Amino acid sequence: MTLPDHDLLRALRAGDATAFQALYRRHQGPLFRYAVLRSGSRETAADTVQEVFIGLLNGSLKFDPLRGELRHFLFGVARKLILKQELARGLAPHSPPDDANADDDGEWQEAPCMAHEPLVRMLDNEAAEQVRQALAGLPPHYRDMVILYEMYDLSYGEIAAICQIELGTVRSRLSRARAALVARLQPMMRVA
Amino acid sequence: MTSKKIPSSCDDALAMLRGEMTSLDTPPEVERALMAAFARQHAVPSWRSRLAGVLTWRVLAPGGGVMAALLAALVVLQPGAGPDAGAPPAMAATDAFIALQPVERIAQERAPRMVETEVPRIALAALGVAVTPQNADQTVRAEMLVAADGQPLALRLPTL
Repeated sequence: MTLPDHDLLRALRAGDATAFQALYRRHQGPLFRYAVLRSGSRETAADTVQEVFIGLLNGSLKFDPLRGELRHFLFGVARKLILKQELARGLAPHSPPDDANADDDGEWQEAPCMAHEPLVRMLDNEAAEQVRQALAGLPPHYRDMVILYEMYDLSYGEIAAICQIELGTVRSRLSRARAALVARLQPMMRVA
Repeated sequence: MTSKKIPSSCDDALAMLRGEMTSLDTPPEVERALMAAFARQHAVPSWRSRLAGVLTWRVLAPGGGVMAALLAALVVLQPGAGPDAGAPPAMAATDAFIALQPVERIAQERAPRMVETEVPRIALAALGVAVTPQNADQTVRAEMLVAADGQPLALRLPTL
């Protein structure tokens, strides 16, 4: 029988190692893949996953099941951690403030922000790798929209909660993000 | 392995990426590190630290004078010294001291004090003291060596 997340969390807090392991194994894959696409680095992604689960383990992360699913909460934490790293490294100079709901008309909007290792090959499939690199070339706030909506099938509301922005901002950013991605994929698709 | 299949639309491209990404997982060393962190966080304290946690006392005398003899006695009962370091020591010689800290820590203490304390008998079960339903609520008189900062260093049970 598969226990729901909140039961595993309760058991984890009571010191049940198998509950912690089950929780980790359930969420590490999607979280790692999100972090890889978001950060453009396997190492950063692995560190991020580890940091997120350490936070769950030592109680520094306070998850409230009434406010949504654990998976979305974990995405939100991972996103914050990556954003913090990007800002520290000066890798997200064109992004709006994290809590901004500004319209996408700022000067940062068309300035692509490269993930810090976008050109390091990660996937064996050449075409898929080109798509990943095109995605990595989008500004981070656009990248979030594409990853969460297109790769994880999350709703506008769920994305708004993860990124802490308004629903309308999700809608407009997603639209612009897709347009930017299509433009980046054009050379590749013309070959088809 | 590489593929020459080219996506014909943005949706195709993202579907292709989604399919390829499913093979990526967090490196196994992350799980190992997390489980080790979990084990550290939830480690059961040793019988020595559990016992030290329940001890309160009153001062008998400065303990510096008994330090050398005490350290010699500790060698007999120091539970961390043998191959079975996790097991409680035997309680045959009740006038000998039982180390509550590593011998090195005890030897380094510059201002030890001898104190008298009453220890709940049940807290001594891990040392091999017999506990029955009849005496489980009783206390046992103990003499204890305490560091200057109040940390219990060693214990003996002269009246057991």
